[in-house]
Amino acid sequence: MSADYERFLVVGAALFALGAIGFLSRRNLILMVLSAEMMLHGIGLSLVTFSKLHHSLEGQAFTVFVLTVAACEAGLALSLILLLYQSKKSLDVNVWTEIREPDLPPPVDSSSPVAEEDLQEFPKLTPAGLQPDVSRFGNQAGRELVSASQKGGQS
Amino acid sequence: MATFGVGLSAMNFLADLAAVADGFSFSHVTLSMASVFSLLVASTLGSEGFLTPEVVLTLIPTAPLLAAAIIALLGKPLLKERSHLVTVAAFLVSFVMSLILMFQDLPAAATQHGPDVVESAVDHEHQKSYGPAVIAPIFEWVNIGSVNVRVDLRADAMTAMMLVMVTGVSLLVALFASGYMHGDPGYPRFFAAVSLFVFSMTMLVLAPSFLMLFVFWEAVGLCSYLLIGFWFKKPSAAAAAKKAFVVNRIGDFGFILGVFLIWVNFGSLNFADVLGRPDKLEALATQSPELVTGICLLLFLGAMGKSAQFPLHVWLPDAMEGPTPVSALIHAATMVTAGVYMVARCTPLFVLAPQAQVVVASVGAITALVAALTALTQHDLKRVMAYSTVSQLGYMFMALGAGAAGKDHATFAVTAAMFHLFTHAYFKALLFLASGSVMHAMGDVIDMRRFSGLKHALPITHWTFLAGAGALAGLPLLAGFWSKDDILAALQTAAEHSPYPGVFKVIFAVAAVTALLTAFYTFRAYFLTFHGPEKFPEEAGHHPHEVTPVMGWPLRILAVCALGIGILVGPLTHWFPSTLGQTPGLSHHEAHGLHFGLMAVSAVIAIAGVGAAFVVYIKGRASIDGLPSKFGPLHKLSLNKFYFDEIFTGAIVLPLRGLAKVAFALDQLLVDPLVDLFGAIPRWISSIPRVLHNGLVSSYAIVMFTGLLVIVLFALQVLAG
Repeated sequence: MSADYERFLVVGAALFALGAIGFLSRRNLILMVLSAEMMLHGIGLSLVTFSKLHHSLEGQAFTVFVLTVAACEAGLALSLILLLYQSKKSLDVNVWTEIREPDLPPPVDSSSPVAEEDLQEFPKLTPAGLQPDVSRFGNQAGRELVSASQKGGQS
Repeated sequence: MATFGVGLSAMNFLADLAAVADGFSFSHVTLSMASVFSLLVASTLGSEGFLTPEVVLTLIPTAPLLAAAIIALLGKPLLKERSHLVTVAAFLVSFVMSLILMFQDLPAAATQHGPDVVESAVDHEHQKSYGPAVIAPIFEWVNIGSVNVRVDLRADAMTAMMLVMVTGVSLLVALFASGYMHGDPGYPRFFAAVSLFVFSMTMLVLAPSFLMLFVFWEAVGLCSYLLIGFWFKKPSAAAAAKKAFVVNRIGDFGFILGVFLIWVNFGSLNFADVLGRPDKLEALATQSPELVTGICLLLFLGAMGKSAQFPLHVWLPDAMEGPTPVSALIHAATMVTAGVYMVARCTPLFVLAPQAQVVVASVGAITALVAALTALTQHDLKRVMAYSTVSQLGYMFMALGAGAAGKDHATFAVTAAMFHLFTHAYFKALLFLASGSVMHAMGDVIDMRRFSGLKHALPITHWTFLAGAGALAGLPLLAGFWSKDDILAALQTAAEHSPYPGVFKVIFAVAAVTALLTAFYTFRAYFLTFHGPEKFPEEAGHHPHEVTPVMGWPLRILAVCALGIGILVGPLTHWFPSTLGQTPGLSHHEAHGLHFGLMAVSAVIAIAGVGAAFVVYIKGRASIDGLPSKFGPLHKLSLNKFYFDEIFTGAIVLPLRGLAKVAFALDQLLVDPLVDLFGAIPRWISSIPRVLHNGLVSSYAIVMFTGLLVIVLFALQVLAG
């Protein structure tokens, strides 16, 4: 029976270690968040295992809380990342080095190895469904709405 | 019946106030004056209504304080040129309350208390006061350990005398100022500051302890600063305000040291605990007389600053840069007498220190003589009056010092000083207001060389000025004559009975000479201004205008006071000495008989002075220009004010500036680098770890993980044993 627990613990430790390595080595913001989540879940797994081992519910209760908070944190992190992306059009974490000692030189590899223009290829959705009937608006706002949706479809 | 009368006259009074607010013509003021007196009479007849002694006492300072607050808050946006109405109403309330206090509440307190002041002070140690007095407790300010400071109001006979004088003169000056200051952009500011001043001054005389006295001593100094520098865009006014403040600081320094000494030796600052304990005072005086002398001298240093005594008198003539009503109110009638009041208040202390009193009298004598000599040659009418104020204050201190004659004669000496203070307030305020009226008519020119012969152009000003000048010169039967006569009598007593007969003989001679000089320079100013060929400066326009009624009536009222108040409260009724004698610390004494010998002497002196002025400036008008050359260096000395300003600049201001420069250099070369060094050390230490703070998230993460690893390893180490 104890061997089972060890397996769970090994998986948990592996998850944490992988997450840590990922967090330290990755430069993509989203992947870093994913790595952090992985570390979190490695620890969660260990907590649940120990809880089972010691016949105590505390570890499980902790984990439930961690999951809840992690969900919130993920939402927050992703929205922050979105904002960061919108301001610099890059997900590279090394772009954000302004908050350092003012008289230090910028870190050496601050520029992204991939040209940003090459990353600008977004998937395009084919227009589908019927053209919406906007005649009932019957005013300037309606016409603008239509032309805007047509323009969006073209680009 | 009486209550009905009070109610009726109160309503009448309020209605009149409303009328004043409507149009403000002088008939309204006379009406409200009439109603004030009916209110007074009605309340004197018998009232235990809403005007209890506490309320009366509290209203005296509160009314001007409220006026100051209202004008300060609403003056600029709302009241504007109507600001004076608030001030006048508040001063009227204060004045009426002071009269009620004087004529109703204090006699009542005296009968309740009984005449035996000394006994009761010993018996009722817990009482906050001593002697017959009205007390209004306000609140407890500080209560830490043995230190208990209460903010109370306490009025005895001397306080009431000062209150009536202060509020009365303020009321008239405020009325005058409403005309004089008309059209000034700072109109509300002026009345706010004047109201604040009257609040501070009433609180100063109502103070029950040295601490409160000191607080409001400073407060009146502040108001004086604000009002001297009222036209702060004028560099000379700003400099004069600064000078007044700084010179006063020197005096205040001595004053507060004296207060500290009192605290150390008496364990209390209440007048009741210090001045109201004659047994304790006597014990201290026999034990260490030099200590009492020290306290007295330090307190007197404060009085020298505030009351412009030699050598700290230099600020008062410069203070004439302020508006003339301010000169009349603060720098002639009220604030500058605070020093005299304080020394008179501390009579029980000064009586025990004859050396200190000799110093007081000598300083007073030197001041009186020097200032009178300086006033002889000044061209500026207001400056003549300023030096005359300094000189008269010196007179008062001479009288206070004459208390050295011994306990039995101290009361007479103090009464003489306070009597002169009282009469001087009226005639000097009058002279200043009349000078202000001259200045107003002459387009702000005050140099006597540029105008003359104004008696036809300004008849009201002329007659009122003449009344004030006569009173100041001490012409027989006018106000100044009686008080000056009392002072001379006090000095003569001191010369006979004090341990320093020689000194007091000299001081008596100085007083006599000063009286002669006073009569001479006062009438010099009068003859130069109002007699001779009619001449106006071009600033005055084509025809100089006489005062408006609102300025004329205060002049007339003050002129009546200057003529009659001396004989009315002095030799005719003996009201002043008998009332003042009820002040705790002063003993009752029989009214002194009239000193006919002295009166004859002083009358001859006064008339001789006036006659000399007449001979020189009327008969010999043609040869005035030749006078300076006749006296040569003496004239120059007097014209340049005995070079006091130059001496102070050379001896004190310049060395201090040099010291400041040295200190600045030390600061720049020594202190600053040292401080910078201490600032540089942490910066230098932090230069090592700060490379970690490179802004790269991954590197922060590495550091964090490394730290975590170290902690975990350490924990494992510990757990493993």
